[in-house]
Amino acid sequence: MSQSACIEGSCMKEACVEENSEKRQEKPGFKLFGEVSFRSFRKHESSLALFNWISILLFTFFLFMAFFPSSLAPYAPEERFIPYEAPSGRHLLGTNDIGNDILSELVFGARISITVGFAAALISTLIGTVLGLCAGYFRGVLDELLMGFTDVVLVIPKIPLIIVLGAFLRPSIWILILVLGLLSWESTARVTRSKALQLREAGYVKSAQCMGFSPYHIMTSDIFPNIIHVLLPKFMLAIASAMISEASLSFLGLGDISLKSWGIMLSFAFFRGGFIRDMWWWYMPPGICITFCVLSIALVGFGLEAKEKEYSEEGANIS
Amino acid sequence: MKSHASSTLLEVRDLEVSFQGIETVTVLSGISFSIRESETLALVGETGCGKSVVAHTIMHLLPPESRVKGAVEFKGKNLLGLNEKEMTKIRGKEIAIIFQDPSLALNPVYSIGHQLAEPLRVHQKEKKKAALSRAAIALKCMSFENFSECINYYPSWCSGGMNQRFLIAASTMLNPALLIADEPSKGLDKKCVAELETELKKLKVERKTSLLLISHDLGFVQRLANRIAVMYAGEIIELADSSSVFEKPLHPYTRGLLNSLPEKGFIPIPGFSPPLNSPPLGCRFHPRCPLREKYCIQVHPELKEIDGRAVRCFLYP
Amino acid sequence: MSGIARKVTRYFASFMLIAVINFTLPRLMPGDPIKNLIGEDVYISEKMMEELRLELGLNMPLSEQFASYLSDLLHLDLGHSYHLHAPVAEILLNKMEWTLLFVGISVVIGSLLGGFLGALAGWKPKKKVSRLTSFAFVVISCIPPYFLALLTLYLFAFKLGLFPSKGFYDTPEIGSVLHHLFLPTCVMSVFSASRNFLVMRGSVIQEKEQLYALYARAKGLHDTGILFRHIIKNASLPIITLLALDFGFLFSGALFIEIVFSLNGMGLLIYDAIMGKDYPLLQGAFLVIAFTALLANMLADLLYALIDPRVRRPA
Repeated sequence: MSQSACIEGSCMKEACVEENSEKRQEKPGFKLFGEVSFRSFRKHESSLALFNWISILLFTFFLFMAFFPSSLAPYAPEERFIPYEAPSGRHLLGTNDIGNDILSELVFGARISITVGFAAALISTLIGTVLGLCAGYFRGVLDELLMGFTDVVLVIPKIPLIIVLGAFLRPSIWILILVLGLLSWESTARVTRSKALQLREAGYVKSAQCMGFSPYHIMTSDIFPNIIHVLLPKFMLAIASAMISEASLSFLGLGDISLKSWGIMLSFAFFRGGFIRDMWWWYMPPGICITFCVLSIALVGFGLEAKEKEYSEEGANIS
Repeated sequence: MKSHASSTLLEVRDLEVSFQGIETVTVLSGISFSIRESETLALVGETGCGKSVVAHTIMHLLPPESRVKGAVEFKGKNLLGLNEKEMTKIRGKEIAIIFQDPSLALNPVYSIGHQLAEPLRVHQKEKKKAALSRAAIALKCMSFENFSECINYYPSWCSGGMNQRFLIAASTMLNPALLIADEPSKGLDKKCVAELETELKKLKVERKTSLLLISHDLGFVQRLANRIAVMYAGEIIELADSSSVFEKPLHPYTRGLLNSLPEKGFIPIPGFSPPLNSPPLGCRFHPRCPLREKYCIQVHPELKEIDGRAVRCFLYP
Repeated sequence: MSGIARKVTRYFASFMLIAVINFTLPRLMPGDPIKNLIGEDVYISEKMMEELRLELGLNMPLSEQFASYLSDLLHLDLGHSYHLHAPVAEILLNKMEWTLLFVGISVVIGSLLGGFLGALAGWKPKKKVSRLTSFAFVVISCIPPYFLALLTLYLFAFKLGLFPSKGFYDTPEIGSVLHHLFLPTCVMSVFSASRNFLVMRGSVIQEKEQLYALYARAKGLHDTGILFRHIIKNASLPIITLLALDFGFLFSGALFIEIVFSLNGMGLLIYDAIMGKDYPLLQGAFLVIAFTALLANMLADLLYALIDPRVRRPA
């Protein structure tokens, strides 16, 4: 979705710079005098720290909702009551068209939405890391091939493809996860590749090469640990992006109906008369939950990214 | 050090610059010098001694966390008291600066002609075509034979030496009275340095531009400068005219610098420049000075004037 | 390999990959390939099925099938929709016009708005206004597009009754069209703007630190003069690449918004096709969208080369 890539947008500039690396020369940051850069003197913003804490709290709350839904939900989501009820003391968010308590559905839906996001992000991050590492470490023909492959595959728009697949096959959560994961690794691959390109020139990598360690060993024990702090924010942003895509696809009825994610709830609300009947307690909560969950994940991701930049800058300054 | 005869163009008095952050670092202390019209003053010193900060302070290009004390007077006006809008009228027009990395200082997506014409369009509100043709003429005066093609080139297509000369052309389009050159010869090979020297000499002679030359290349400086100020750890430790500094250096640091030249034997000065957030007590050079006394470790020397020169050392009380 | 040759090979490979995917999908799926090629819930007699089988060449070896498929593609024959009783290409073309109009306008407005605001926010990132707008756009980018569309529809169409809630127009006049398209365009532009905003902001923040920005200041340029005369051109380079990468996303997002607003474009068409299992139509739609995305990429590359002289070599 347009905004799912927007989530990754903050890293996009990096991705774009990498993509046009042959066009764009290396630009060292402008240092004012000598080695002492005034950047290391910048005071840490207290308001940003506040943001970070709020987003982490929010994210933990949603995780808790996903792991322990029974402790938050008043009923089981399949239990049926009187349908189309407005919010009341017994049903804080009312009931839907078949009589399920909406609040319980909401709480149990967290698990599905977050799992899909997490799984898809895991797949895409894994693929992206492996490809990026290999491309960056081995360079040459392999680099060209892999990056070419990346370019070629990622022109294909994900949503239409999933639509076609979903129409043919029974809508299943695994298709969703697989396709989302298999088509989103571009930005991770680019970032890993550029970091690998940097790190392969480091002293300890060169000495490991001299000592005759296999490339696989060097990549896993020398280069990879230094990439993790870059991967983590990307992973978070990938989760956010996948969650939004899932929500969108579920809206079209391509999600798994048996597993009620927030997206499916929204879809039911719209297509089964919730909208027309002005039942805001049905369609607002899932949408709000999606937004806030994605927001918290994205903010955590941005926070991690900012921290990573800080560390890499300070590291460069101390030398 | 006050000078006489032709009028003073730029005067810097007791300049102190510090950067505020987690800790406050004083980068420059007690900097005083002056430049007359058509004079070339060179600011020499190791990397990290604060030479570029002087240049940026004069031009008001320091970052927001900087604190400046002292006075910088240009043609009688106190530059430090001007606000940003007033300063923009002076920058590029009366004082210009060229940076050490010409390929990075020029905007990669605009043509050379466009960037040369820009000062004309911004300061003198000239029309694009007229400005471009004046830019072409400027390039011709710089002895670029294919100046009409150069107008359409982009910085990434040209070598560092060419870009440096383009940069000089852009900075001097409006005939500024003072040109600050911040390490112009860094990263250039010998041939380019020679071309650069020719350009700067032409500026001095034909347009009577004053030059504040910041460099760590002593040979380059010797050929161009009238007077030399030697900086160390944020202070001026010697200020004299060029020949005096090279023939009879007073400060032990200056002597050490000259000894480290290839012609004199490449003898380096032992030790490292002190970090500016914790300079040594007393004379800042004392840890590396072969002639230090007990006095030097405890008391900080002032800049003393002797025979038209200035030096900051207890050897000359 | 020179830059251009490399790019052309990649585009060609993308083209072939899309075509191959589209070709193999119906033939790989479980069930009778004939069903997969004509759609489910289509009632035709056994005799017709045999005829179709021959016509579609399902008895031929795969390579021949692929060759005929490719030649069909090049003749812009995307198959036949048995649900709507018309060639797929015709149906798609009709609806595409409206969708492209809607997407085109929204993307242009969104890019300009987002780019402009993003540049200002990146130039003065510490100001309250910048921070607020940045946060607002981040929040917007976390909202699923159709949800925002739902909310806007609810608020402005149902509750306030300011705008119509269905269709492209009541009467085929400019006024009616504008009235109907206003809300969806707003929603779509806001989404397009949100990602352009964040990227432009990041880009400007990065470019601010470059030496040429300082030099521009040293030449006597003032504040926003530096921003608009120097930084913007450099900072917009990532946006161009982004628009290309993004195109698939934007188009898909537009489809959702169309569905919510019941606009009579590709969105509803695809939705009905999903419900009705009209496979040929879905495949055709996929092809068309994928190829448009490819085209967008090519355009972006061209635009990039035009703006950034570092990609070109001197004559």
